[in-house]
Amino acid sequence: MAELSEIQNEFIRNEIEEFLEREDERERNINLFARVNPKLQDISAALIDGAHHVVDEMTREALDSGIEALEVMDDGLILGMGIVGIKFRENFIFVPEVLACARAMKAGMKHIEPILSASGIEPIGTVIMGTVKGDLHDIGKNLCIMMLGGAGFVVHDLGVDTSEGEFMDAVEEHGAKVIGMSALLTTTMPNMGKTIEAFIDADLREDVKFMVGGAPVTQEFADDMGADGYGKDALECVDLAKRLLKELKEEAQ
Amino acid sequence: MNKIDRAEYQKRLDRITEMFAGMVKYADELSVKRCPYKNRFSECTAQFRCRNQQEPRPEGELLTCGLEDGLDYRSAWESNPEALEKAKTKIRAHKKVRRKKSDD
Repeated sequence: MAELSEIQNEFIRNEIEEFLEREDERERNINLFARVNPKLQDISAALIDGAHHVVDEMTREALDSGIEALEVMDDGLILGMGIVGIKFRENFIFVPEVLACARAMKAGMKHIEPILSASGIEPIGTVIMGTVKGDLHDIGKNLCIMMLGGAGFVVHDLGVDTSEGEFMDAVEEHGAKVIGMSALLTTTMPNMGKTIEAFIDADLREDVKFMVGGAPVTQEFADDMGADGYGKDALECVDLAKRLLKELKEEAQ
Repeated sequence: MNKIDRAEYQKRLDRITEMFAGMVKYADELSVKRCPYKNRFSECTAQFRCRNQQEPRPEGELLTCGLEDGLDYRSAWESNPEALEKAKTKIRAHKKVRRKKSDD
């Protein structure tokens, strides 16, 4: 059993002391962090703090210094995210903070990607995500992006109030095959259908698959609009995106 | 540059997915009693206007949320049957125009 004082990073020590109330979780995390390279403790601390620029820089430095990519993932990024999960579960932080931490994790993972590529590991696929024109609600979409990124997809986030043209430009720019559209308002839901129609007009519909979601969206609605898939929540989006990519591959054969 | 073993990398992705899935599930549970746009400082991170946002705040800072937790704020989401039907009608009309256009 390691001691809290064996963890070099003060921020991590404070986090464990202040937020980890369950004895088993305290012990486990003290044991884990105490054996972690101080550079990776610093990455974890920045991730827990949601400081994506810092995670970005520190991850690059850690990899440049010769630390193995999987070690950076395990002891820097995943370990830090474990603390984030506990803080969220115990209501010390909330969805906006979790999303900031996920963004920080993504900033770190960005530096792992070239190593993956050099190892012959390509991303599962590329997904374009956006909230449709006229709609400014983005929490659901952002949770989907977090899930997709965590599962190994490359995700390009177009943000909120996304026009048909912006979706089309992004597909062209990134060579994406799956587009995820979200809407929270019934008044903006028809813009999902309009976007799909715009792809038909541009003769691009056969090249891509559309998945849709959002509180008022239903399977019936998705079918009506001509979408290829509907997800009732962010948990479903990973399997849905994988299914749509598989369908595209099968259609291409 | 050291190479990464595919199976080992996949194990990490599975672990991340498991962690994120737990968070998303909890976010869903929490969303019936606390607005998901509200951060730990009770500030509103939404990019849209909400009647619970309280002003004024110093320039550049987020607005505070005036809503007490415990209330299902989702009633503010516009998803009543009437509005849904309206949206469906809009889609059908749009489709009709599209069909006519392509027939011509």
